[in-house]
Amino acid sequence: MNAHAQTGSATAMSGAVMVVGGGVAGVQSALDLTELGYKVYLLEKSGAIGGVMARLDKTFPTNDCSLCILAPKLVEVGRNPNIQVLTKSELIDLQGTAGSFTATVRKEPRFIDEEVCTGCGQCTLYCLKEIGDDYNENLRHTQAAHIDYAQAVPTSYYIDAKACLHLNYETCGLCAVVCQANAIRFDQKQETLEIPVGAVIMAPGFGRISNEVMARYGWGKFKDVLTAFEHERLMCASGPTNGEIVRLSDKKHPKKIAFLQCIGSRDETCGNNYCSSVCCMYAIKQATLAREHDPDCEITLFYMDVRTHGKGFDAARERAISENNFRVIYARPPRVEDVFDGGLLLTWAAEDGSHHYEKFDMVVLSQGLESPDDAEQLAQAATIELNNYLFAKTGNYTPLATSRPGVYVIGAFQGPKDIPDSVIQAGGAAALCAGQLVPARDSETVKASFPEERDISAEEPRVGVFVCHCGINIGGVVDVRAVRDYAQTLPNVVYATDNLYSCSQDTQGLLVETIHKYGLNRLVVAACTPRTHEPLFQATLRDAGLNRSLFEMANIRDQCSWVHMHEPEAATEKAKDVVRMAVAKAAYLTALKEQQLPVTPSALVIGGGLAGITAALAIADQGFVTTLVERGKTLGGRALLLSADRFGNDPRQVVHDLIARVRKHAKITLYTQAEVKAVSGYVGNFTTTVAVNQGSEVINHGVAVLATGGRPYEPGQYLYGKSTKVMTQLDLEKRLAGSRPLSKEIRQVVMIQCVGSRGEDLSYCSRVCCGQALKNVLRLKKLQPDLQITVLYRDMRAYGFLEDDYLRARQQGIIFTRYDVANKPEVMPGKGKSSPLTVRYYDPLLNETIERATDLLVLSVGIVSEDPTELARMLKVPVTADKFFLEAHVKLQPVDLPVDGTYVCGLAHSPKSMDETIAQAQAAAGRACQPLAKGVITPVPIVSQVDPELCIGCGVCESFCPYKAIQIYKEGKVRKARTITASCKGCGVCAARCPTMAIDMGRFTMDGIMAQIHAFGEEARAEQR
Amino acid sequence: MSDYQPKILGFLCNWCCYTAADSAGVGRYQYPPNLRVIRMMCTGRLDPSFPLEGLAAGADGIFVGGCHPGECHYIDGNYHALISASLVHEVLARIGINKERFLIDWASAAEGPNFVKIITHFTHRVAALGPLGSSEKLDAEEVRHKLSAAAEAARGRKVRTGLINASKEMIKGGDFSRETISDLVATKCDKALNTLLG
Repeated sequence: MNAHAQTGSATAMSGAVMVVGGGVAGVQSALDLTELGYKVYLLEKSGAIGGVMARLDKTFPTNDCSLCILAPKLVEVGRNPNIQVLTKSELIDLQGTAGSFTATVRKEPRFIDEEVCTGCGQCTLYCLKEIGDDYNENLRHTQAAHIDYAQAVPTSYYIDAKACLHLNYETCGLCAVVCQANAIRFDQKQETLEIPVGAVIMAPGFGRISNEVMARYGWGKFKDVLTAFEHERLMCASGPTNGEIVRLSDKKHPKKIAFLQCIGSRDETCGNNYCSSVCCMYAIKQATLAREHDPDCEITLFYMDVRTHGKGFDAARERAISENNFRVIYARPPRVEDVFDGGLLLTWAAEDGSHHYEKFDMVVLSQGLESPDDAEQLAQAATIELNNYLFAKTGNYTPLATSRPGVYVIGAFQGPKDIPDSVIQAGGAAALCAGQLVPARDSETVKASFPEERDISAEEPRVGVFVCHCGINIGGVVDVRAVRDYAQTLPNVVYATDNLYSCSQDTQGLLVETIHKYGLNRLVVAACTPRTHEPLFQATLRDAGLNRSLFEMANIRDQCSWVHMHEPEAATEKAKDVVRMAVAKAAYLTALKEQQLPVTPSALVIGGGLAGITAALAIADQGFVTTLVERGKTLGGRALLLSADRFGNDPRQVVHDLIARVRKHAKITLYTQAEVKAVSGYVGNFTTTVAVNQGSEVINHGVAVLATGGRPYEPGQYLYGKSTKVMTQLDLEKRLAGSRPLSKEIRQVVMIQCVGSRGEDLSYCSRVCCGQALKNVLRLKKLQPDLQITVLYRDMRAYGFLEDDYLRARQQGIIFTRYDVANKPEVMPGKGKSSPLTVRYYDPLLNETIERATDLLVLSVGIVSEDPTELARMLKVPVTADKFFLEAHVKLQPVDLPVDGTYVCGLAHSPKSMDETIAQAQAAAGRACQPLAKGVITPVPIVSQVDPELCIGCGVCESFCPYKAIQIYKEGKVRKARTITASCKGCGVCAARCPTMAIDMGRFTMDGIMAQIHAFGEEARAEQR
Repeated sequence: MSDYQPKILGFLCNWCCYTAADSAGVGRYQYPPNLRVIRMMCTGRLDPSFPLEGLAAGADGIFVGGCHPGECHYIDGNYHALISASLVHEVLARIGINKERFLIDWASAAEGPNFVKIITHFTHRVAALGPLGSSEKLDAEEVRHKLSAAAEAARGRKVRTGLINASKEMIKGGDFSRETISDLVATKCDKALNTLLG
């Protein structure tokens, strides 16, 4: 029985949450939950957390290195005292009710004690049994005793029980002999744990399209037909070919690659009619990277529709296509045949019916996302319902709740989705758990404690230098050992070493040990970039009892080994220089005081639409006072313009219920016809002035959620406003909800998609219009089955389960005709006022221009944001060129704004559907409650400091500071400047302009930078002499 | 000197150019290995003395990289950097050093390839100029001595007061073009530089 299991009465509310699945969604929700005051049991079926994201080379649309942005989170989970990671574990039963469940978990043995294993890898080295390396899609081998990947958390090896010679035949056992740590445990047995938890979050991810479906396109038969996952591993520098994209048949670089979309998606024949939502975009990413690997490579993408409906995706896709000369062909996935000279022959029928064939060197299958293989088992264990595709069943207005109260679902198991949407849902589910378990908050958590900081002010600098190989990322180019030896000769350096992966969890332990052993008081890590990894090493520093400011990174990967790949000697010299400069700066680093600032435990939510009211409720439900400010007279926003959802329910009823809850909620103060006039302060301590009824209210709050919403684009094209026969989808929604929705004369209906969108007045895709058009054609058909309806579209973006509506519409005889952006439909008025309109458009199937009379023309217009400029200026948050708020990180911080303590959700972030809006609003509420639940904030101490001795009180700094973070005060009759630490962002303009050099910046000091400059000069001067 | 490798020191802002340099790495874009980088949170931190000190210390060229005008993470730090940069150019002109040895330019976080283009071009340009002083036909030691004095002056109250006045006028005028800024700096610092550098 598990020692961690709590005893107590069965009805007592538990302050712990079980998260089932350790992919990015599960990891994020676990981290969010601990920040909100709850203990987490993180269950992972495999040997390590990280999920699919850990297997990706890059992430779209920014092509960030996937593992590089994920690894710090994994390490954070590994070191978080309130997260217990249970690997090789599955949920097999869930008894009890919300608040006090008992989860039964089956934990398979690892046969290597993860507490004892040092991650040295000797066991793998000596293991005699080769097995396929699943992490690398079986494109190379690993051993029965292995670790999934170098940065895996927990950083412990494990033994494959099915393959191990000792476990199966009682032979071998070499690993136990060579393991210096004595971590091998052949006698480990399967365990069954019973764990009391208050809520459960299901995040098991997605399953793979079956090999049988893939075989239809030649996979498994022809070596050079790859799945997208295989191609991803080939692209990856740490993959089976060290990042070389080669044909598996002859190891040659392919010069012509074809990407086939919709493999296992939008395909009834394999049972998956839904669209997997992510493949269109990941194919663009993979194609772009294939071109980067080989600029001569020609790439063709076969699409049915190009579904790049995410924020900024269309722009990224268009840029990628034009920069790389991709050829895009609209066609069903063609058949793949082998031809005798090693090429692959594709045949396809174009949209106009013409037949084509062409030879390619490599074919990549963009496989879709399926429900997890064990979805039914899992559903049974948790007693939750599944939908007809075996994804977890959720409601349109409760997108994260399963059929069982207290059990939530996030990520791909809720429906196919990309990383940001999964991360959003993770945050949302954390907020819902927190709301549900308020009385038990902080009841099972321990405070993350760091040892007391050592006072080093009197010590001479003792610098430790750690040079990272980053696998072969650095070590493959730079002579890492030479750099280490060089570092050892530098002034103040008392210890230098090299690591395979400095960021791995075991290295963090080693760092702490080394700091103690050698009495280090400054740390220099020569590795990747401080932008991603500084926080990780700083946390390690704190673990070792050192102030986190005593740290400096030398960037010898992103700005050295990766950009001088063919010049190993010059790269090594550069790495030495960069390390020398970092060491020189390190000597001048000082411990900077960590400030603990109190947080006003309340939130301000700006905007009373669906996003705003959902966020306000989710915050208030967590027990925090919330002020909701709405500009208009009433709450509900644009959601009230929709008269039905795709399931036939009336969303207005749901919104009205929510409004009633807001009005009744004891923790919510509501201001309508109120407008934000001024905002000052910083996270934990904002003051906002709101104009209400000729007067104004001053609100103190710790955090702010921006939910300012959007509105429909107003079309001027296609006779809108000139003919009563032309309306928008929203006009139609209103008509359909009325008492006489359709007059008898209406026989012919035409809809035009993307009116004003995707490059006309709005550069972007509004995501929801295709789904709305499908919903409305089905409503029309239901009302009048003999209506003739034609939808003119560019790409029918019926992502996810919306594809079912698309199929249903086609089955009901609705005609869908693609138009080209260069050849848009034209609309002409009829002769008389009541005579039908004429729509002229080119039909690619018939290959001719058609004129069609219509009694009703419905325009699908996009969504524009409510102008955020003023608010953005007040809060100093950025907006995109399309006037949506720009989040802090498109992948992993999708609701955080770059200014701490501010969050965004709903249409103010980007166009999205109601269920997506609700999930995002809940996520924003979860993130916003983190500082509130903690009660204090600790700003990064890189702020400016004024030396009062040198300050002459001229006030220049005050006038130039962009954040009003430096102020002149009077000390008797003398004027002096002082920094308001919490407001200062550390830009340093004040320091650069101070006439008497009285201002210096934390960590970027005058002395430190001068030391860097002079260290740079040393070598240069030596050579010049 | 065919194998001459210029020494280039760069000051990059954390949010744009440093990120662009990282993303160039992620994309494996290759560029000449001559640049050594000092990271700052914002180019607004650029003390006017830093580039001068860098040249005095042994650099043949100095690069300052920030966010595009109007896109500074800290609102207007890069405009303040242009003020500091103008002083550097002014000093170089007065000492007789080719102004091309000092470059301030922009690359957004997403512009890895643009960063590579800027650095590659700058490296080739400085390589063509040769070691500091060579294309100027000046004695390197003497030039470095003068630069060192200029760096000291740039930390002095007189020059800095000139820069403050230039900054104030720049913000008031709302014209952030390089020409306007360099004219402002030249005018406001003229007297101070005359006395200090002759």
